Amino acid sequence: MRRYLVARLAQTALVVFLSLSAVFLMVRLSGDPVTLFMPMDIQAKDVNEFRQRLGFNDPLGVQYARFIAGAARGDFGESLRYRRDALGLVLERLPATMLLAGTALALTFVVAVPLGVLSAVRRDGLFDHAGTVVTVLGQAVPGFWLGLMLIYVFAVQLRWLPTGGIGTPSHLVMPSIVLAAFYSARVARLTRSAVLDVLNEEYILTARAKGLAETRVIGKHTLRNSAIPIVTLAGLEAGQLLGGAVVTETIFAWPGLGRLTVQALLNRDFPVVLAAVSFTSIIYTLMNLVVDLLYGWLDPRVRRA
Amino acid sequence: MKAWLGLGLTLAAVLAAAFAPWLASHDPLSANFAAFLKPPGTPGHPLGTDQLGRDLLARVLHGARLALFIGACTVVITALVGGTLGLIAGFVERWPSTALMRLADVQLSFPFILLALTINAIVGLGLRNIIISLSAAGWVIYARVVRGEVLSVKQREFVHAAAALGMSRWRLLFRHILPNVAPSIIVVASLQFSQFIVAEAAISFLGFGVQPPTPAWGSMLSESRDFLYIAWWLAAFPGAALALTALGVNLVGDWLRDTLDPKLRV
Repeated sequence: MRRYLVARLAQTALVVFLSLSAVFLMVRLSGDPVTLFMPMDIQAKDVNEFRQRLGFNDPLGVQYARFIAGAARGDFGESLRYRRDALGLVLERLPATMLLAGTALALTFVVAVPLGVLSAVRRDGLFDHAGTVVTVLGQAVPGFWLGLMLIYVFAVQLRWLPTGGIGTPSHLVMPSIVLAAFYSARVARLTRSAVLDVLNEEYILTARAKGLAETRVIGKHTLRNSAIPIVTLAGLEAGQLLGGAVVTETIFAWPGLGRLTVQALLNRDFPVVLAAVSFTSIIYTLMNLVVDLLYGWLDPRVRRA
Repeated sequence: MKAWLGLGLTLAAVLAAAFAPWLASHDPLSANFAAFLKPPGTPGHPLGTDQLGRDLLARVLHGARLALFIGACTVVITALVGGTLGLIAGFVERWPSTALMRLADVQLSFPFILLALTINAIVGLGLRNIIISLSAAGWVIYARVVRGEVLSVKQREFVHAAAALGMSRWRLLFRHILPNVAPSIIVVASLQFSQFIVAEAAISFLGFGVQPPTPAWGSMLSESRDFLYIAWWLAAFPGAALALTALGVNLVGDWLRDTLDPKLRV
């Protein structure tokens, strides 16, 4: 187990290092942001001075070394727009993103896992068919359109909920529903097929044959054994959500990480783009690691392998 | 039943795209300030008009053209690039394989939409660049799936038998391995198609990708936000077209997976 853990940690560190390098290369390839932030009537001498100060005149290798050394200390430089520490800006947005991600994820599991289990247990029944229609629709309807339609109905027409922003629990309703709609569809479909797989196993037949109550057969023998694919998907989705739901946050003017990333990309605010994208990729990679470690807990066979 | 619905919706989208100029009586770009923000059902404008008096039906139909074109180009490019790399990585199990899979790990450490968005912000706006961005972000899944399939097909007896009979490696790859891997490529491609269409719309919605006045569903939805209080139809119809197209393609993809490769989970 310890060797496995060490190997996985080393692998995670390598992926994080490589993705930081990839982010740096991508952002540097996109050109020089300096001229965009200068007034129209500026002298060439001043532009150069500004470049010098930000270090854009150094060779690419030097800039890369500086970036990696800084990133290791959590220093991504200063935002070109806000003149503040870039990582600080990212971390400032984190609570809002975590609140939205947590709510959406909780909503997803409360809705999707029972839906999937019931559909599988009552396979081909009315509930299963209705569930299939809902999940297929949920996967196809794009979140930003669902968001716009919800805003039209509940904010514009009925005036029950605010159109966007953050502050009260009512601000949280629509964005978390939009996020949960898409993810629940996936989780429900996966839960259904995972439970169906397990129900075909012989130990389920045994459990039933020895007269175990159906609630116990499903609740204990089936659910625990169908948990692995569900946990995998949940971990990946948590990672995606923590990286900030770029589109949903933008529609609902939710001041989280995703909206910060989009704005920084639009403004060519490179230090913030670097900080935000690197942060997202680290979170995402760590979530993958957590999922792998959870396997070992859920399935002792993995631990021995 | 689901398959027929999917085929029907997909066919409708393809026909709308193919015959857009003949189905719509207006030019999607021609403004008419005398008739702006007309509601659906206005004579001559069944779906109404937008803030510049452009016919919404014409714009939605031409949007289908753009969406399917982008989706098709991206699917073909990613399937060719990702499929080839996966084939090589699975067949030649030495350093290229490991290097490629590490690269895939790195790419998969970014959420798809964020990666495509960032690449698009870097390579620039416009139709060609959105196809490049989506392809650059989307090839990994093929490489992964195909490599896994090749690794398992290679262990099958008929491959060992062919190798024992002295068949050359290239012939082995193209005659015996590729045909067994092809169904997976088709299934992944069909399931990716709608993801690409929706991702393109999302990226254009955020202000990157395809720019106005080109009638892309994503940028139409983005513009509709300013008029949500007075003109619901500007948000409703392009989004419905997008959702129905995505639904149709998804259902076809599900059906293909169930018939060709039921074990595959994508």
